[in-house]
Amino acid sequence: MADQGGSQHGIARTSRVRTEEQKKRDLERIKKYRELEDQVRSHVSRGDYSPSVFQLTSKLLRLNPEYYTIWNTIGWVIMLDGVLEYFSYRHYNTIFHQLLVIVVGHDPARPRVPDSWEECAPDASGVRKDNNIEAATAAAAAAEQQDLSTIKTELNFTIPLLLESPKCYWIWSYRLWILQQAIQRLRSPLARQIWEEELGLASKMLGKDRRNFHAWGYRRHVVAQLESATLQGSSMVEAEFAYTERMINTDLSNFSAWHSRSKLIPRLLEERGADDAARRAFLDEELNKIREALNVGPEDQSLWYYHQFLVLNLVYPDKHPAMTRGLTTQDRVAYLRREVDEIKDLLEDYTDVKLIYEGLFEYTLYLCQLEGRQPDTGERADLVAWLGKLKRLDPMRNGRWADLERELGLKEGGGEE
Amino acid sequence: MPQNFDQLPEELQLATSAHVKYVQSLDTRKDEYDYWLTEHLRLNGLYWGLTSLHLLGRPDALPRAETIDFVLSCQHDSGGFGAAPGHDAHMLSTVSAVQILAMVDAFDELETRGKGKAQVGKYIASLQNPQTGTFAGDEWGEEDTRFLYGAFNALSLLGLLHLVDVEKAINHIAACANFDGGYGVSPGAESHAGQIFTCVAALTIAGRQDLVDKGRLGRWLSERQIAGGGLNGRPEKKEDVCYSWWVLSSLEMIGKTHWIDKDQLIAFILRCQDPERGGISDRPGDMVDVWHTVFGLAGLSLLQYPGLQPVDEVYCMPKSTTARVLGR
Repeated sequence: MADQGGSQHGIARTSRVRTEEQKKRDLERIKKYRELEDQVRSHVSRGDYSPSVFQLTSKLLRLNPEYYTIWNTIGWVIMLDGVLEYFSYRHYNTIFHQLLVIVVGHDPARPRVPDSWEECAPDASGVRKDNNIEAATAAAAAAEQQDLSTIKTELNFTIPLLLESPKCYWIWSYRLWILQQAIQRLRSPLARQIWEEELGLASKMLGKDRRNFHAWGYRRHVVAQLESATLQGSSMVEAEFAYTERMINTDLSNFSAWHSRSKLIPRLLEERGADDAARRAFLDEELNKIREALNVGPEDQSLWYYHQFLVLNLVYPDKHPAMTRGLTTQDRVAYLRREVDEIKDLLEDYTDVKLIYEGLFEYTLYLCQLEGRQPDTGERADLVAWLGKLKRLDPMRNGRWADLERELGLKEGGGEE
Repeated sequence: MPQNFDQLPEELQLATSAHVKYVQSLDTRKDEYDYWLTEHLRLNGLYWGLTSLHLLGRPDALPRAETIDFVLSCQHDSGGFGAAPGHDAHMLSTVSAVQILAMVDAFDELETRGKGKAQVGKYIASLQNPQTGTFAGDEWGEEDTRFLYGAFNALSLLGLLHLVDVEKAINHIAACANFDGGYGVSPGAESHAGQIFTCVAALTIAGRQDLVDKGRLGRWLSERQIAGGGLNGRPEKKEDVCYSWWVLSSLEMIGKTHWIDKDQLIAFILRCQDPERGGISDRPGDMVDVWHTVFGLAGLSLLQYPGLQPVDEVYCMPKSTTARVLGR
């Protein structure tokens, strides 16, 4: 078992017979690639994690970002602090250098005298100001600038690689490792600045592929760090909830955004200090929103999953209390009944969408469950009819429909078949 | 599906000998650039290829002695295995190494010529996060339920599952569960078929399937089959042969394989094979690779396609291997 890195996805099949010209080109590329690899390996085998290795690793990773051992090699160089020369190499090759000057307010590659004590001391409280400490502080500041430069350069280095290989686990993972170094090596306001920029990257990547689960996971991780005490953060749940709203408004079918929303709601309501009435109003809004969406896209599974999430809140209040706190069983039955009625209305416009019948089937059973009773005669006839529709519209899952039929004893009623 | 190969129409025939040749050819492509670009997957690739051959009923199509030599040449002093000589040790290649050695019945060689089972177990156990119970891929710390599953897979094959805190790991999986019955890569993450496989298989190895909401999960998994017969990995995504394994094996583990249309899935997988040059691709007409080849074949095996050896839905290895190693 392993991840899918390196496998072929969506590349059209060709004859796989190469021309002489292609063979020759392949051999040349192999030669260059392997020479580069040998160079890195010979450094590493000597235990040499010096800066000169960096130049080589950069080249190699541009050719093959999946080469995890090489990402590790850079990690070692950074851990062992052999960074300055390397930094100069990468840094002057990018426009990023200029940005860096703007961000940190000076050119980090040049010596600089700190403007104030506070600016450079990791912990200035109660420390006597004398020459030794000043010197030590200046050294610490210089070291920090060096770390900052390395961190920024590394982050910048991975961006084009991520844009090219947005599903490469190793790049995302290396980037997170570098960000962790920011927390360990920089004072927290600086580290925070670095982490804040990551939100922009997450948004950019999700703008290119709204369902990229690497990018969604990355975003969650970044937000959690920005919220943490380590980075002197505070809750971002409102902003993240608003982000899911924007993503959903752009594309109703984005289940990743709906999912994220479902995870944020309990905290959102808690932090708003929502009372029972406010929670109920919130539930009403969510139901309205998803109902409107279903009205235009009843074939979309993403919408039905979110609708199911809301219904599960009504059916299992112990497990999902956030929106349904304070609702009596009677209230919850009334809510669910309304949903069933609204879905029945969908049948006026859409007669052959199986998800509608599946929703009706499932929610009717929940109604009975909430009321602690068996389906009545009318409901039973409905269930039989809907199951008949499901079998007809969705024969792929006939095994499932047959199981439901048997479990619920709906067989003898017949159906439309 | 008839039990006899010859009775099948042409489009439903598996190109067995072409697939065997394709797998055999993989290590002879040293004049292709891609061969070198995928060296970081070499040990995984060997596992994928060897499993394919076992399922095709040709377990001896790769030389056993060289296979063992290569696997052992990837081992580090730590006990972990890298993807190839010169590559760092990682959970994913270590699991592949253990699986390969299990398939060729060579745990004794690991003892005599390698660093020994105990050292492998120690390496894997060292990657467990003592706080959360989950596992990292290597010392650099990326965590993912893939690595947790890999640890359970390899350790159980080695008879060393007691080296890790199983209960804590199980609690971590439970925290990855979502309302739709599925599991994500970490707590809070969206359900994803690949991750569902890793979580359900890890729970199965630990004997804790009671934690799975089988009805709801089965429903989500069965909805992965879309028009054309293929399976996707998440709602509203494209189909891909690899999900013929991740989705199907999960359905099999919870006893719901009959909730999808098996014949349509068989036909889809077969449309993705290259009948002349061998191998299976993600979708019809795309380039083949050994990764999709093994998961296509494993899917066909679960679907009881005639002539294939039965696959173990938890380990993605021949049942004959897991029966021997686990004493089932």
